[in-house]
Amino acid sequence: MKKHGGIKKSASVLVAATIVAGLLSACGSEKEDNAGGTNNAASQTNNASEGTNASANDTTNAPANTGDAAADAVVEITVWDQPSPDDPAKSFVEEQFAKFDAAHPNIKVKHVEAWQPDVREKFLTAVAGGEGPDLSYSAFPDMQVYIPKGIAADITDLVNGSPDKDRFIDGAFNLATKDGKIYGIPNDMYTSGLIYNKKLFANAGITAPPKTWEEFAADAQLVQQKNAGIVGFDILGMDWADWHFEYYVWQAGGDLTEQQPDGTAKLTFTSDAAVKALQYYKDLKWKYNVTQKNVVQDIGENEKDFYSGRSAMIIGTSDSFTNFVGRGMNPDDIGFAPFPAGPSGKAPAQVGGSFWMLNPKSSPEQQKAAFDYAMFSMSKESQDALGQFKVDNGLGLRPFTVLKDFDVTKFIKDVPQDYLDAVNESAKDQHLEYFLKSSLSSYLVKPIQKVLLDKNADPAAELQKAQDLAQKEVIDKYNNDLKAAK
Amino acid sequence: MGNQVELKQGAAAQAQTQAQTQKQMQTRSRARFNIRWTPILFLLPSIIVFFVFKYYLILDAVYISLFNYDIVSPPGKFVGLGNYFEFLKSETFWVAMKNTFIFFLLSVAIVFWVPIVQALFLSQVKRFNGFYRVLYQIPGVLPVVAGVLLWKWMYNPDRGLFNYLLAKIGLGPYGWLNDLHMTKFAIVLPGFFTGGGIGVLLYYAAIKSISAELFEAAKIDGCGPWHRMKIIILPNIKFVILIQFVGFMSGVLLSFDNIFVMTQGGPADASLVVALMIQRTAFVQSRFGISAALSFFMFIVIAVLTVLQFRLQREDD
Repeated sequence: MKKHGGIKKSASVLVAATIVAGLLSACGSEKEDNAGGTNNAASQTNNASEGTNASANDTTNAPANTGDAAADAVVEITVWDQPSPDDPAKSFVEEQFAKFDAAHPNIKVKHVEAWQPDVREKFLTAVAGGEGPDLSYSAFPDMQVYIPKGIAADITDLVNGSPDKDRFIDGAFNLATKDGKIYGIPNDMYTSGLIYNKKLFANAGITAPPKTWEEFAADAQLVQQKNAGIVGFDILGMDWADWHFEYYVWQAGGDLTEQQPDGTAKLTFTSDAAVKALQYYKDLKWKYNVTQKNVVQDIGENEKDFYSGRSAMIIGTSDSFTNFVGRGMNPDDIGFAPFPAGPSGKAPAQVGGSFWMLNPKSSPEQQKAAFDYAMFSMSKESQDALGQFKVDNGLGLRPFTVLKDFDVTKFIKDVPQDYLDAVNESAKDQHLEYFLKSSLSSYLVKPIQKVLLDKNADPAAELQKAQDLAQKEVIDKYNNDLKAAK
Repeated sequence: MGNQVELKQGAAAQAQTQAQTQKQMQTRSRARFNIRWTPILFLLPSIIVFFVFKYYLILDAVYISLFNYDIVSPPGKFVGLGNYFEFLKSETFWVAMKNTFIFFLLSVAIVFWVPIVQALFLSQVKRFNGFYRVLYQIPGVLPVVAGVLLWKWMYNPDRGLFNYLLAKIGLGPYGWLNDLHMTKFAIVLPGFFTGGGIGVLLYYAAIKSISAELFEAAKIDGCGPWHRMKIIILPNIKFVILIQFVGFMSGVLLSFDNIFVMTQGGPADASLVVALMIQRTAFVQSRFGISAALSFFMFIVIAVLTVLQFRLQREDD
């Protein structure tokens, strides 16, 4: 009996170990300071050229003429930019891959799929395992996390030494710049705003989108009354709830965090503006009754409601037109408007987008190759070809560009002028997402969900609880680490 | 003379016996040290794989948990047990712990016993038994996430099937995943309907292995079906229930997929469990040290509960 017990005990521990190990696998890490399999291979190649001369960095430009051993060395890089199998632009993208390969025989690019929803988790796992790509995309808020953690390479010299630098619009590098150092190459950009269904508005006799919070609530109620079964406004209450909520805080004249001059963070969840914004959220749900019942649905479901004609308004971006037309929505029904102004009289739009990010562990040769690859992708020729491909294939293009010499208006003739005018109007007053969003998001989602689901919840009290918790669990440590590092 | 011969013969026989004993001992000794390589060779690959992909990861997590882990230049600053103290002081962790154990209790109450009952019924079915066994397995073939998504749509308070059907009989509408007090129940409920999958077959096999004579004797003694289940079936399948319970407990305490797909831990942390916190800490907040500490802590919790479980069972026996 005892013996059996021992076996059972071992088996039980084994079962537990097996299951827990699954959770731990993502945390597995390479202890050695290297850049992973592909990069190692590349490093070995590059080692052969060590001590030759600086021309190794220029292999991509004039490899055949130098006759230098370094110039002939093949640099291998891994780029996370392989499109999904059903991407309508896949053939174009792969054609561009081939063009780059032909023009750069000394750079061998391995393309890895990077379109999955959990790409962020995969990326961090790869970095933790020493297998981070030489080049990848990173969203604006993520750059705030990656730069201080050393995940993004300092590419100041590469950018300053590139003739392409001046092709980017003014301030394009700002969000990837810290202490005068540049960590990213601008890839794309969007601006946020209110998306409304013109047809449903017309049915309700509304001729212009709302300009204030009061008008917004009144219009949402009216459009619901005049269009049976329609929701006035699909609110975002799921995991990214703080993303849209921050706009309302800005409209009320505040923000959710403040970065102090010494770099430390200060929470302002309980500011008058934040409380007013959350009270407005609560009113939209419980006082005006203009939101969907399923307030904890995600942004994909909100978008689906909109393009299916089930909701009259959602928060979207300058890209929404392309997205919804692609989903079968009538282009004439899609309207864009700057956000309604809150108590502050202001309605800033959020500027979002992504950067190309290089791996600090890549060799200098790999970094140069990755930089050249990113610049090839951002070249006027590539962007024009992409624009033309999208026009030829009935695919939409983002109406915003980060490049001065790429005239996007040539390729977006189908986008109504009033839509473009509203996007430009919205973009006049832009705001960045709140500082430390990635770390604080889960703390803010809680009070937002609480007021949307419990009509007795007090916005001020819920925000106070969230702030106290975030202060204790995130900010104190962040500030202490920052001070200790100094 | 005769005595001398006898003595000599006796000595020779003794020597022979001694030699035989010595030979036997040598053979035994050789047998004791004779390593049978064939089974070892067959087992070796799986043992290596198991150590590399299971135990190494656990040990690595323990190592990571001792650092303010820097994923770019690992391992970062050594903090000893600092990560453990940090999450133990965290209010969010205790919310997640509480939710995890509420999920466990709800799952035991709503889900765990279902395959046992299914197997009991199945054991009484004589005709088309094979067909029913296959029928019980079909829900297990459906991918977990697909099943969870279906339930999520049915729960939708705007257009979901449940509120529509309940309204027909004058009930609801219910918030389901939009109700802070109902969320956990709504997440566990699908388990009741999707059944026990392979568990049903294990229980069924255990019930079928009970001697038919026992049932006949019990019937002669006047035992009804309820008593037969209580005094014959359940005691005889207890070992399968225990093994299943250990696996079930580990699975529920580390639940992730279904909760992540349904609510992502919300609303307002109502369904935040430790496994979700581990994922969030690592991949949203990039705090791998604390995430590893949480993982190892859960490993210890489950291991302790499992050992306790078996000890209680042994005492019961």
